[in-house]
Amino acid sequence: MSRSICSRCLSRSQFTLETSASSPLPLNTAQRAAFSTTSALAANPPKKKGPVTAKPASRQGKTLRLNKNVRESTGKPPAQGERKAFRKKIVLSNTNALEVQGLQDLNLENSSAEKLAHLEGQVLALTDAQVSALRTLDVFKPTQAWNLFRKPATVIRKETVEIAKALESAQGGEDANAKQVIKRILFGEKGSGKTVLQLQAMALALNKGWVVLHFPNGQDLTNNQTSYHPDESGKLYVQPEYTANLLKTIASANQKVLSGMQLSMKHTLPFPVQENISLSRFAEMGANNAENAHAVYIALMKELTAPSKPTTGKGQQRPPLFLGFDAIDHVMRLSKYLNSEAGLVHAHDLALVNDFTRYMTGEHALPNGGMILAAVSESNRAASETLDYLLDTKYGAKTNWAEPRFNPHTGWKAEPMPAWSPYAPFDERVGKALEKMDVQKVEGLSKAEAKGLMEYYALSGVLRGAVTERLVGEKWSLSGGGIIGELEKAAVKTRI
Amino acid sequence: MVFIFGTPFPESQLVSKALRSFYGLGPQACTKLMARFHIHDTARVGALAEKQINNLAGELSEMTLENDARRQLQDNIKRLRDMGTYRGRRHAMGLPVRGQRTRTQIMNARKFNRVERRG
Repeated sequence: MSRSICSRCLSRSQFTLETSASSPLPLNTAQRAAFSTTSALAANPPKKKGPVTAKPASRQGKTLRLNKNVRESTGKPPAQGERKAFRKKIVLSNTNALEVQGLQDLNLENSSAEKLAHLEGQVLALTDAQVSALRTLDVFKPTQAWNLFRKPATVIRKETVEIAKALESAQGGEDANAKQVIKRILFGEKGSGKTVLQLQAMALALNKGWVVLHFPNGQDLTNNQTSYHPDESGKLYVQPEYTANLLKTIASANQKVLSGMQLSMKHTLPFPVQENISLSRFAEMGANNAENAHAVYIALMKELTAPSKPTTGKGQQRPPLFLGFDAIDHVMRLSKYLNSEAGLVHAHDLALVNDFTRYMTGEHALPNGGMILAAVSESNRAASETLDYLLDTKYGAKTNWAEPRFNPHTGWKAEPMPAWSPYAPFDERVGKALEKMDVQKVEGLSKAEAKGLMEYYALSGVLRGAVTERLVGEKWSLSGGGIIGELEKAAVKTRI
Repeated sequence: MVFIFGTPFPESQLVSKALRSFYGLGPQACTKLMARFHIHDTARVGALAEKQINNLAGELSEMTLENDARRQLQDNIKRLRDMGTYRGRRHAMGLPVRGQRTRTQIMNARKFNRVERRG
C-alpha cells in the first residue's frame, strides 16, 4: 500500500489531494499547493519587466521657466514671533528728525487746566518718565506716527483741556471731601484721536501722582487667546496670564506711587504675605505667579479703592485712580471664550471685565476720586448694536438733536434720533454697564489747533515749506474737518 | 514630549492640532472637548496642566477613535453590502455611491470606495 505522505520529508504529497483522480482537468502547480491556505489570487502579479526607460527629463511640463523665475531662499526664515514683534514694534524717537526748539513738556507745571487752556493749539512733549510709564501701559500704538519725530509729543486740543478740568474736579481741588468720579466713553471717527486723548489723560494723571490702570485693547481680553478657567463660584472666568501681565504693567507704571503704599487689610490669599509689604512688591508677586494673579488683583484693587484715612499714618493715604480701557466695543458683546457646554461666554462674565464694569456702574466705589476713561476703537470695531445705539442716544440726549450740526460728509444737517431695531436683541448687561457713563464725541481739530500741529511738523523737518493759512485750510479740509489721523496722513505720512 | 492618551506630542504643538490628529476626532469634537476643560484656542500641549491631560485622556478613552472608528466605518459599509443594497454594491464595485456620473471624474470613488475601506 502506498502512503500519501512522503516518508522522507513529510511535506510533499505524492498524490493530488484536492482533486479526485477522475478529474478530467489538467492541474497546474499553483492549485496543488496543499499546505497554503492563502488564495493564489491574493499575491500581486509579478511585475512585467519592460524595456529599460531613460530617466525623465529634469524639467517637465510645457511652461517656459526661466532661471530668473526661481525664487531663491535668502538666509534663514524669520524666527518664531519675529514678524509679529516687528509689526507691533513701537519706535518713539527718530534721530533724523530735527529737534524742535522751545518745545515745552507736559510736566506737572503745565498740567493744570488753566495753563493748558493757554497752551491750546500747541504741541507739548511727553517727559521721559511719562514715556516709560505709558510705554509699559501699552498706550502707544504702532499705527501712530511717533517714529517720525525726535520726541513723542501731542497737540493740546480743546478736549485735552476739558479732560484736565475733569481730572482736577475728580481730585477735588483743595477740598478733600469734594472728590468725584468722572466716567466717560470716548467715541468718534477713526483717527479722531480717542486713544491719544486717553494717553494725554494718563500722562496728566501720572503727573498728579494718580494710580493708572489701563486695558490697552479689549480684543485681547475676549478673543480666546489667553488661558482661562472658571473661578470658585463657577460664574466668572479668570484669565490668569492676562491678569499677571496686567499686574506687571500696573506695578511698573506706578512704581513710585505704589512703593510708598502698604498692604493695610487682611485678604484671603492662596499664599503667605508679609503684613506690611509695599503694594508694588505685592503686585509683582501676582505678576510672577499667574495662578495667584487674580487673587492679588482683587486684593490690590480693594487696597487702592479703600477710603483714605490721612490721620492714621503711612500707607493709608491713597491717591485717586485712573481706569483706562481702549477698544471697549470688544467687551460689549459675547466673547470668543467657550463655557463647558461649548456656548459663548458673555464678555461681562470674564472676571477682569466684570470688575471693570462694576466700576462703571458704581457698584465698586472709588472713594478717593478717580476717572474711568474708556474709548471705542474704530479701526477694529467689534459689532455691538447695543453699544452703538446707546452711544448715539446718549450723545443725542446730551446735545440737541433737532439742531442741525456739521458733518464734513453731509454738511449742515439735523440727524434723526436713532431708533432701536425691533429685530435685534437688546443686551441688558451692556445697557446696565453704560447707564452711568457719560459719552463724549471726539471730533476734528479746530483750524487753530491744526495750524499748531502743522507748525510742529514743519519745525521737525517732516513737512516742507511754509505753513500758511492756505495750506492748513487745504489739509484741514482733506482730513474731513481736522480728523487728526487723516491730517497726519495728509501732511506727514504720505510721500509723493 | 507630552503623552496624551498614550500618544507623544511635542510641547510646542497646538492642543487643537494634537487632538485632531486622532482618527475620528474632528474640529467640532475638538472644540467641545477643549471647551469642556477650558483650554483656549492657542494653547500649546506643553502648557496643559496634569489634570487637564488626565481629563482629556479620560474623555478620549470613552470616544470611538482610531481603529475602532475605522472598524465602525467598515462595518457600516459591510452591512450595506450584506443587505444587498445599491449603496453596498457600489462600494464593492469601487464606483460612486450617491448618483454621480461615472463617465468622468470618479477618481476619488475608485480610490476610496471598497468594502474594506481604510478609513
